[in-house]
Formats: sequence, C-alpha cells, structure tokens
Amino acid sequence: MPDTSGIAANVVEDAPDDVSVKLLDMSLAGEAADTRRAAERFQAKADALVILGGDGTTRDAALGCDTLPLLSVSTGTNNVVPSAVDGTVAGAAAALVASGAVDDRETTYRHEMVKARTESGESVMGIAAVELSDRSFIGTRALLDPDEMLGGIVSRANPSAIGLSSVAGALDSLAPNEPGAIALRLVDEDASDQTVRAIVAPGMTTRVGVKEYHRLSDGESMVVEVDDGVLGADGERELEVTNETVEFHSVSDGPRLISYEAVFECAARAGVLKDGSECC
Amino acid sequence: MLTIREFDTRAGERFADGEIPGFVHLYVGEEAVGVGACAALEEDDYITSTHRGHGHCIAKGLDPKLMMSEIYGKRDGYCNGKGGSMHIADVDSEMLGANGIVGAGPPLGTGAALSISQKGEDRIALSFLGDGAVAQGQVHEAVNLASTWDLPVVFLIENNQYGEGTAVSDQHNAKNLSDTAAAYDIPGINVDGMDITAVNEAVTEARKRARNGEGPTLIEAETYRFHGHFEGDQELYRDEEEVEDWRKRDPIDTFSERLIERDELSEEELGEMREDIEMEIEDAIEYAKNADDPTPDEAYEDMFSQRVPDIDLFVEQANARADGGTRGGEF
Repeated sequence: MPDTSGIAANVVEDAPDDVSVKLLDMSLAGEAADTRRAAERFQAKADALVILGGDGTTRDAALGCDTLPLLSVSTGTNNVVPSAVDGTVAGAAAALVASGAVDDRETTYRHEMVKARTESGESVMGIAAVELSDRSFIGTRALLDPDEMLGGIVSRANPSAIGLSSVAGALDSLAPNEPGAIALRLVDEDASDQTVRAIVAPGMTTRVGVKEYHRLSDGESMVVEVDDGVLGADGERELEVTNETVEFHSVSDGPRLISYEAVFECAARAGVLKDGSECC
Repeated sequence: MLTIREFDTRAGERFADGEIPGFVHLYVGEEAVGVGACAALEEDDYITSTHRGHGHCIAKGLDPKLMMSEIYGKRDGYCNGKGGSMHIADVDSEMLGANGIVGAGPPLGTGAALSISQKGEDRIALSFLGDGAVAQGQVHEAVNLASTWDLPVVFLIENNQYGEGTAVSDQHNAKNLSDTAAAYDIPGINVDGMDITAVNEAVTEARKRARNGEGPTLIEAETYRFHGHFEGDQELYRDEEEVEDWRKRDPIDTFSERLIERDELSEEELGEMREDIEMEIEDAIEYAKNADDPTPDEAYEDMFSQRVPDIDLFVEQANARADGGTRGGEF
C-alpha cells in the first residue's frame, strides 16, 4: 500500500454487477502501518484475506490480524512466505475457506514469526527472517550484498527458499508451522570451515560461510553484541543499531495462513467440487 | 549540504535586497539529493544540471566564490558573468551546465555518455532533472537512446512535488515517476530524497551498472523545496502546513542528528563547520560584490570558438552606435 498500480481500483471497476466490491475508505500515511491498519479492519469483518505482495506486506498484514485466514500471493520482491499461485486458484481457495465449504482447521496453519529486540527496547519483526547486516545505514532498504550479512534468525528453513531461509535450509529443515526457529552467524566464506550454496536474494546465488547455527525452541534466544549494523526484516533493512546487545528469538501464534493445496485436496476429498455434496 | 544551505539562503537574501540580477531558484531542502548523488561519483564523471543548479555545482566541487560572482553577473564568474544563476557551467570540473530549459540536461547527459562510450573512457554521466522535466519530449528521447545503446548514464529525477506551481499528480498519471523506467526496459528506483544515505546508495549501484556496460538507471528521489519555485513566488499552490511537515524531515538536521548519535560528529564540530561555512559564503558574497563587471565589449566574446564575419560586423556596428555614429555605418 498504497496501490500505486491501481489493481484494487480495477477490481472494483470490473466487478460484475451482482458482486459488491468496495475499496476500504482509509487515509494513507504511505508507510507499513497502512497495511496493518487495513488488515485490522478486515480482521473485524472478513472471513479470509488475500494479500498481493511479498514477505514484507504479508508480515505487515499479519501484524494486524489474529485468526483471520490469509492467502498471500507471491507478487513482491522477497517471496519466501507467499505462494507462487495462479490468481484464479488463489481466489477460489480463499472463497472455499471464507464460505466455510472446507474446514479451516485442516486447510490453514499458524506461521511462526521471528523477532530481534535491542537492549534499549527497539525491535524488528519478520515473518520469514530477521537479518543482521554490517552496513551502517538503512539507505535504499534492500539487503544488497551477501558479504555484509552477519547472521540472523529464520522461522522456516528450506533450500528452495530465498534469503537467510535458503542458507538455513542448506543445513537444516524447519517447517513454517514448527515451533521455534533457526539462528545463524555468518562469516566470510574464506574464513569458514562450513560454507553452503544458497539463493540469498532474487537473482543472486552465492556461497555463504556459516560460523554457527542453532535450532532454538520457543523461549530460547541468540544474543549478539553489535557495534555498528542494521537489523533487517524479510530482506529489507529496518533499524540502525550501534553499541547494542541484540536478542533474536521466535514468536509463536503468528498469522494463520491458508494452504491452497490443502484447500483443494480437502474440497476434492469431501466432494465439495461435485454438485450437490457436503463439505469435508 | 551545509555549504549549499548557506549559499542558497544567502543568495536568496541578497536577491531580495536587489543585489542580484535575474532570477534565483533555490535548492534549500533538496541538499541530500545533489550531495548524495555527487558523493557516489568519481571526480571525472560528468553531471548535467537544471535551472535549480547551485546545489549540484557545489556538490560537484565548484568554487562558491566563482559561482557567486556568476550570479552577481561579474567577470570572474564561471561564465564571465553572462550566464547568471541558471547557466553556471564548468567543463573543467565535468559540470556541463545548469540549464534554463526544463529537460535540457538529459540529452546532454546522453551525449556525454555517448562520448565516453566512443572513447572507451572509464567514467559516467549523471543528469539531474526535475519532476516537470519527465513530461518533456526530449527527456524521453534521451532516456530511450541511452537505454537502446546501453550508455553509461544515470538519470536522477529530483521530484520536489511541484513543477513550478503544478503538483506532480496534476502532471503525471504514473504514481511513481521511476515506474516510467519500465517503458525503456531499464531499472527504475524510487528513493527517499531527504535521506542522503539512500540517494548515495542508489547512485552508487546505478554507477556500478553503468560502468559494467549494463546501461542507464532511472532514479527518482522524493524531495521538497523549502522555498518557492523562485524567490518571490507567492506559493498559492501549497499550504504552510505541508511545508512545515516536510521541514520536519530536513535532510541536514536528520543526518547531523544521526552522526551525533553515532559519535561520528560532535555538536561542537557541527557548530564549527557552520561558522566556517558562514564565513566562506560571506567571503564569496564580498568577493562577488567587489569584482569587476564585464564591459559591454565583452558581451560579444566567448560566443564562438572561431571568428564569425557576421558577428564581427555586428560588433563593429554596435560600437559605432555606442559612439554616436562616428564609427561604422547603419545596420
């Protein structure tokens, strides 16, 4: 948000007459909180929420939701959490959940989140990852150079993911709904006994030196002393940190995400997609 | 940034007092863009500027004394006092000119980049342009050609929210001007122009691309001019509240606060810098005020690299008129 390409306005304009579609009437400050505030209003009224964006937008929406089922469609820069799914499939899956045609206990899951907190009380929250970079300013926000990455924490680890989740995924496996997190400290690949090949950013595959990694359960944390660096969330720099103690940990009870595959499997199994049948 | 702020604040005052001829368009509020960009360049990189060019000149390393002399219309100025505020240029500093024509910088930037490419040089060109310039046909031509030929040039839009008195949204349907980059198949980046680190980083990356033969980048820096379009502008197109909101994001205040917080600058050092710069600009003003005016004869100099018979005849006739008809004939 704001919807600079006018996708939402086009949806409203092109909607069939018998479907009531309206834009949320809200003022925009042009910041992440806009997404959260919009999500809060959907939480109060909607039965499902479809998000067009990447990890950052999904996280911001998640912060405004509690139990509202979310279906995030991969249209952002960093897309670990959103699904690369056809728009019609996504819409139909959301409709099956929203209408109660499938049991949302079988088709949704709670996604863990991760957080970094400084001793002085500031914090950064990520849905897939919170990263620590040794660049000393936020600048253009994107985490550009893998050589500057000092480590961080991930809520999910899979080698087919992107960013820090890809690095963690080369060493261990962690499903998004598993409790806990994986914390990593990275070093220059030449100075490390352990290197992995990972997709660290869109269009960037590289070898990364891993100094250590730890599986953290809920309640456990990794503590790092930072002289001068930036904390990022989901691939974007967020908070400058100097002479601080930073604690990385997982956050349970994150957003409730819809698995579109599970929705259709459930619907087919229960015969929902056949005319005249009951839900699963 | 402090030098630009002081230079333009004082130039505005001197203009209001009637000391400076012509117009001045001040860069106050936009300092992070010019400085962030030029700090990402190498010394021999070219820049082209706009009608609001004092900041670009200072960021490129031009001498405030000679700039002020130019603005005062004095012989010691960069263009011997003939150009004034909107035409400061110094080819020796690879500063290819401020420009009174909106959108005239990018074609020069593309041309400079073509010369770099033809000569196989290791440098780039950067063109500053305003949000209003994006609507100019020649900007499209310049960006398109640079993209087609993968020329080493960076186009940096200073979106200060108004083209003279017209809001950006009344001039363009594109929500972000950087989105227009897609039409040229080049990267388009929107950055916070009030944050010097963001501008610097974006231009650093764009310069790298240009040097690697990957062609131009279009950067849009969102910024704001704290003064009117020109000095004396009544600013009926915007309200004070909006100006105050942007002033809270003053790029000098935010960056100096950040440096102080990080113990990279002390209040005392900042105070000393301000004092030194105030003195430097005061000296520049005194120097300009006391410098010689060009003589009427000099109006015909520096126009062509070789003698042009028609100009010689014109000068002869003009001199004759000045002499009351004792030299030369009618024209």
